[in-house]
Amino acid sequence: MNRNRKLGFAALGLAAAFGIAACGESGAPQSSQGNQYNAAIGNTVRPSSTSGGTITFDNSSVPDSTDPGNTYYANQWNVIRLYGRTLVTYKSQPGAAGNQLTPDLATSMGQVSADGLTWTYHLKPGLKFEDGTAITSKDVKYAVERSYAKDVLPNGPGYYSLLLKDPNYPGPYKDKAPDKLGLTSVTTPNDTTIVFHLQKPFADFDYVAALPQTVPVPPAKDKGANYQLHPVSSGPYKFQSYQLDKQYTLVKNPQWKASTDPNRKQLANKIVFKLNVNADTIDNNLLHGFADVDVAGTGVQAAARAEILSTPRLKNNADNALSGFLWFTYINSKVKPLDNVHCRRAVEYAADKVAYQTAYGGPVAGGQIASTVLTPNIVGYKKFDLYEALSKPHGDLTKARQELQACGQPNGFSTTMAFRSDRPKEKATATAEQEALSRVGIKLTLQGYPSGKYFTNFAGVPNYVHQHDLGLAVGGWAPDWPDGYGMLYYVTAGPAIQAAGNTNIGELNNPQVNQMFEKAVATKNATDRNKIWSQIDHKVMEEAVILPGVYAKSLLYRSPDLTNVFVHNYYAMYNYSTLGKK
Amino acid sequence: MIAFIVRRLLVTVLLLVIVSMITFAIFFLVPRLAGQTSFELASQYVGRNPSPAAIRAVEQKLGFDQPLVVQYGRFVKGIVLGAHYNAGPDKTYCPPPCFGYSFRNQQPVWPMLMSNLPVTASLAVGAAILWLAGGITIGVISALRRGTLFDRFSMGIALAGVSLPIFFTGLIALQLFSYNWAIFPDLQYVGLTDNPIAWARNLILPWVTLAFLYAALYARLTRAGMLETMSEDYIRTARAKGLPERTVIVKHGLRAALTPIVTIFGIDLGLLLGGAVLTEFTFSLHGLGLFTILAIQNNDLPEILGVVMLTAFFVVIANLIVDVLYAFVDPRVRY
Repeated sequence: MNRNRKLGFAALGLAAAFGIAACGESGAPQSSQGNQYNAAIGNTVRPSSTSGGTITFDNSSVPDSTDPGNTYYANQWNVIRLYGRTLVTYKSQPGAAGNQLTPDLATSMGQVSADGLTWTYHLKPGLKFEDGTAITSKDVKYAVERSYAKDVLPNGPGYYSLLLKDPNYPGPYKDKAPDKLGLTSVTTPNDTTIVFHLQKPFADFDYVAALPQTVPVPPAKDKGANYQLHPVSSGPYKFQSYQLDKQYTLVKNPQWKASTDPNRKQLANKIVFKLNVNADTIDNNLLHGFADVDVAGTGVQAAARAEILSTPRLKNNADNALSGFLWFTYINSKVKPLDNVHCRRAVEYAADKVAYQTAYGGPVAGGQIASTVLTPNIVGYKKFDLYEALSKPHGDLTKARQELQACGQPNGFSTTMAFRSDRPKEKATATAEQEALSRVGIKLTLQGYPSGKYFTNFAGVPNYVHQHDLGLAVGGWAPDWPDGYGMLYYVTAGPAIQAAGNTNIGELNNPQVNQMFEKAVATKNATDRNKIWSQIDHKVMEEAVILPGVYAKSLLYRSPDLTNVFVHNYYAMYNYSTLGKK
Repeated sequence: MIAFIVRRLLVTVLLLVIVSMITFAIFFLVPRLAGQTSFELASQYVGRNPSPAAIRAVEQKLGFDQPLVVQYGRFVKGIVLGAHYNAGPDKTYCPPPCFGYSFRNQQPVWPMLMSNLPVTASLAVGAAILWLAGGITIGVISALRRGTLFDRFSMGIALAGVSLPIFFTGLIALQLFSYNWAIFPDLQYVGLTDNPIAWARNLILPWVTLAFLYAALYARLTRAGMLETMSEDYIRTARAKGLPERTVIVKHGLRAALTPIVTIFGIDLGLLLGGAVLTEFTFSLHGLGLFTILAIQNNDLPEILGVVMLTAFFVVIANLIVDVLYAFVDPRVRY
């Protein structure tokens, strides 16, 4: 998912240790009247059932699509819950509970067969679209089928074609079946049952069923690329109007029943999304009451941040939340001399983590110093610090020199560090680490690339990386779902290495790691599975293919006019599906 | 005169064809020459971690796998004859002038351009009236009162206006008048026909901000032109003949000084109609300028092509109008 991504698990001890929550980060959701810094982290601020009013969302950009089947933006996935329901969804609760899945359209979580190859969901009775027609399992199947039509709907994730049998299904628009429901790997024995047939066991499948691609789409109402202009609602709000790139407005959907949906509220009469609003204007609008929410959820800009942090009245309406991203540097395991693990570990020890944090904006705007690949809000996270990132954040030069000795490069070595030239924070990071690593004789040549082609043409092309000696590459990741698979697979698993568009830039292809991934996705017991994620994290750090930078944080402004406000762990921003207006 | 206009219109068409070819080459040919394959180009328009099959599908859908000549021919054909587009369940028809479909949101470009045009036109025309009235008036008075306090003060302000970027003056204006004093709170564009008062109220700040920049420039140009004109022999002759000073200034002085102003005005207005990028961005006005920024950010080639063509059209037409106006401003042109 682009931009912001998910958070996971943050239990009481962790929250206290990392200073995330000012109060109430316990197992049970709490509530508060707000007016405290970080009050919406772990608590619901101003809980209320008052209805009426208009909530205004400002967006400095536009959604990649309002079509649930064609989007990969975290903030849009959060927005979609206002007008679309999935088979299962994330609990609308503050704190760690936000990472937990709960049935949405379905009556229960997926029922997996003994061989792990079949997942079955039953729909709740009485579910209706905005036009009053019943929501059936066929509508969900059709929605899943749409994810195969990449020529028409190119933006969404591709997990279904990756996991299900019948991977070559062409999508419903080229489907020869008269009812356009020819995907054989998804069956609908009756109108309330849907069964997914997998190629091989995948224990995380409930997370896949939570993707917006299971928001039901009535085949007769599907307009393909134009469906985004009025997706048919199954949630508490429906589209009233949409001026492309300018504004869209949602109003109450009378067909939605609160009794079937504990994760959403229908309080405001109207929700207006203003698009392409200048980012600084959004901040001013928030501070002056002209807007209620910044859709992006990535935090205020530098000017507003300074104003908020220096003004107690404003600071009391702000939350410094983890944003779900890990910013880090890949250390390539194939480029000499970094193909020697000791050379990679020398980089880990010599790096200045404080400089890294500063490059990203400091503790508030940038984030907290990281020592693992899993972030503290991910299910399966376990704290450890192999390279003294937390105890010696400016680097341990003695150990770095020892590692250099062990790798046969006692005087250091030279390599190239890639970064996205149009991202000032990455450039600052590269510059800072160039200076930090030079302390032990590791000489970095900095090489910037345009972000649009970073993965497709340069750092994400292993051949290019080898030919141009790109030993280090600045990067970042946020998972599609908040567990170890979502966070680790695409950046550390051997099978994830691709000839172009590669995100495992460290090119780690460790049999032990790969085996642990296979074991994890076949492990049905969540507790056991989560232990494996932590083991993978530990192994990856031992292999030193990733230099963790910061667990990203952002400063969110909480409008005093809103009710039921809390930071959702998974979306890593305020939860949109429960907001109301005072 | 009619033959002149027809001739110029034909040249305009030729010019637009050349502009389209150059723009097309910049965005389609140059990347290929630099070694980018159509597969790599297509990968920019697919979501995260796309499979090769997904990229191939997009490559074929957008026609990148076809020769450039074919792609350009399809673009031109769409403008002249319209085009059909595979929207999924059915094919939608895009009537001429069809500038293609956005790679970003798969919607036809031309209606998007047209929906943004009223915003840009409202901004540009309103600001143009202000800067013409303000700039020329101040320029004339400064020239006539050369060296006085008014002259020095107004030219000082003009220098500031030329020097200060719009994203600075605009943000200051917003901070003061929209947020601190709330004289123009919660600015957003309202259509002229929907609510003329709200339309004007919400555009006053952008107008003034944009006009401040141009008025400063025009004041300095007018002053320089007037100073030069008023020292001409024919002005002395006009005065010697006993013409009223007002007639001498307006009819003989200003009219001659206006000729270069009109030329520049044509280019300025044409460019602004193609999008007042900074002003629209600063005030979040959904005009062609903001549309351009979004198109470039997303590397949305059909949108970029469309806005470049439209801007080129406006510049060329504005210059044509200026040429026609010359005949009225400066009668010597007619002979």
